[in-house]
Amino acid sequence: MLYFRGCVAREKETNISKSTEAILREVGIDFKTISNEICCGSVLMRTGFLEEAKDQMQKNIDNLKGQKVLVSCAGCYKTFKEDYKEILGVELDVIHTSQLFKDLIVENKIIIKKSESIKVTYHDPCHLGRHCYEYESPREVLKFISSLVEMENNRENSRCCGSGGGVKSAFPEIAINIAQERLKDAEKTMASLIITSCPFCKLNLNQAYIANNNNNNNNNNNNNKQNHKYYKSHDLEVLDLSEFLLKQITSQSGGLKNE
Amino acid sequence: MNSKELETMRISFKKLNERRMEILNDPQTKKLQERVKKIREDSVNNMEELLEMAKKRFEENGIEVFLAENDQKALNIIYNIVKDEKTVSKSKSNTVSEIDLAKFLTDKNINLVETDLGDRIVQLNPTDKRPAHPIGPALHLNVKKIAEIISESLGQEIEPEPRIIMELVKANVIEELSKCKIGITGANSVAAEDGSLVMVHNEGNISLLTLMETHIVLVGIDKLVSTIEDSISVIKLETAYATGTKIPSYINVISAPSKTADIEKRLLNGMYGAKKVVVILLDNGRRDALKECLWCIGCGSCIVACPVYNAVGHEFGYKGYLGGRGVAMSKFIKNEKTSFDSGLYMCTLCGLCTLECPVSTPTSELVEKLRINSQKAGFYPKAHGVIKKNIKSSGSPFKS
Ligand code: SF4
Repeated sequence: MLYFRGCVAREKETNISKSTEAILREVGIDFKTISNEICCGSVLMRTGFLEEAKDQMQKNIDNLKGQKVLVSCAGCYKTFKEDYKEILGVELDVIHTSQLFKDLIVENKIIIKKSESIKVTYHDPCHLGRHCYEYESPREVLKFISSLVEMENNRENSRCCGSGGGVKSAFPEIAINIAQERLKDAEKTMASLIITSCPFCKLNLNQAYIANNNNNNNNNNNNNKQNHKYYKSHDLEVLDLSEFLLKQITSQSGGLKNE
Repeated sequence: MNSKELETMRISFKKLNERRMEILNDPQTKKLQERVKKIREDSVNNMEELLEMAKKRFEENGIEVFLAENDQKALNIIYNIVKDEKTVSKSKSNTVSEIDLAKFLTDKNINLVETDLGDRIVQLNPTDKRPAHPIGPALHLNVKKIAEIISESLGQEIEPEPRIIMELVKANVIEELSKCKIGITGANSVAAEDGSLVMVHNEGNISLLTLMETHIVLVGIDKLVSTIEDSISVIKLETAYATGTKIPSYINVISAPSKTADIEKRLLNGMYGAKKVVVILLDNGRRDALKECLWCIGCGSCIVACPVYNAVGHEFGYKGYLGGRGVAMSKFIKNEKTSFDSGLYMCTLCGLCTLECPVSTPTSELVEKLRINSQKAGFYPKAHGVIKKNIKSSGSPFKS
């Protein structure tokens, strides 16, 4: 199996790729990564650079063809599954980490006790959910290891985290604003964790959470309660599914054997 | 929009969503939706034939008909009709705003009376004249702000009380209408085979305008369908999605000038209603538009759901063409630069609007497609240019 980490998990949210690799080792899956891995082309596709995206796909294709490709990122997933097929005419055997984790649990390859007391909510990445119809695998994993509570807008009605389509880079403030709205949805569930299965969503939601906290502190200092961004009622942690799963495995087994 | 307006807008959207819930889940509505989807798709596919048919039928019915290739031509046609008037009146219409009629007439010293309450409030707002929603243009303004706007325009202090505001505006509009001989409206749907124009309203203002001596109807060629039955289906669905009600207060169907033959069977035009009905079918880029972009029935559901629109308001949109689909439309109505400036790159491509849209407009796909040409024409965010370069040289968007 080839684990294609994707740009965000490889360079920004590195804990996601580390967690994923740790889980793979834990269950003894033989996998490799590409040492000089490059962008899958998704960001180019979404921002109108079609020719450049094609070039990028060409550079990648030989590394991907003929093997099972595991991805962390909802963007990579959609791009490999749909765009590579449409543009290069190549059908790739691609699987998302949430799907693999679900399979491993169902096949008893990950044996883990359910932590009833941990209340989590799940944020559907647009590219995995609405665009590729994968809603249930991540939920099954979460239900297996914790108590899942749904936000009002879930599955196909899920609200975007705000980072897709190049908005995060071109309009960072809008991206954060949108993520803050999504965090409000999560807050309402009273869950202590919001889990997603895309490094891009995690990055943005987490930054929004941090921005909220800073705001919060400033507000407390300035005694200014008028700021509309002030909403935090309890602590919320933003994690990728891989990070949460590993955390649970580790906490139960007291460490990983192959670490 | 400022943060207060955004907050008011979001509260209005929430109320609207609650009001719509029941009707949108009604199996009858779902059935209607399937029918309308097909009507819109077929109509857009057959736009040219419908256009020919409509022209013929309007003429047979005694309606004067013009085809305007662009906004300038439409303005000239209207000007030729209204040039001797001091005051003309209009109802709310995206198409009328599209051609900037208000500004055009002001420049020609012709007073344009806006009869729709919401549109009037928005037009009088000194800071920002753009609507927030196609059916509820002023839903981002609270009653206090609205009272301020109306007080300012009428030169008298008004209490922030909805009924008082309504009564005052009504009295003012009725007085102004008494000086008008020409009413200008849009149409929500055009039935080509019947030569009929179908209009929806709740206030009753359009009925008043159809009773003027001359009634001018400006309508995009994308509004064409085959029959009145189709038009009514479209309108019922639009109403359900836009307001959460089953049916609007008024549906006017205009198929000919007002006439009587009650004296010796001699035909006389202009009994109570318009003596002359003129329809201007506006192209203005629609013929070159991507077909999916024209399915829209103008309900505004997409922006109510849109995460970006909820965060920034009508900055994400062009004139009355709001949200992602509006931005896409602006490319065809205007050009690449306009759609870039209207927020072509603000869309997160999340796809929620397509799910919420009664005719499943694939907005994220349209936006993605339009970005290709926009980018080629040099209109793309600087940040995206850097990322493109980075990927080319290092393989990573984050490293140069
Ligand atoms: S694109 Fe769809 S949801 Fe948006 S206004 Fe048009 S019909 Fe309504």
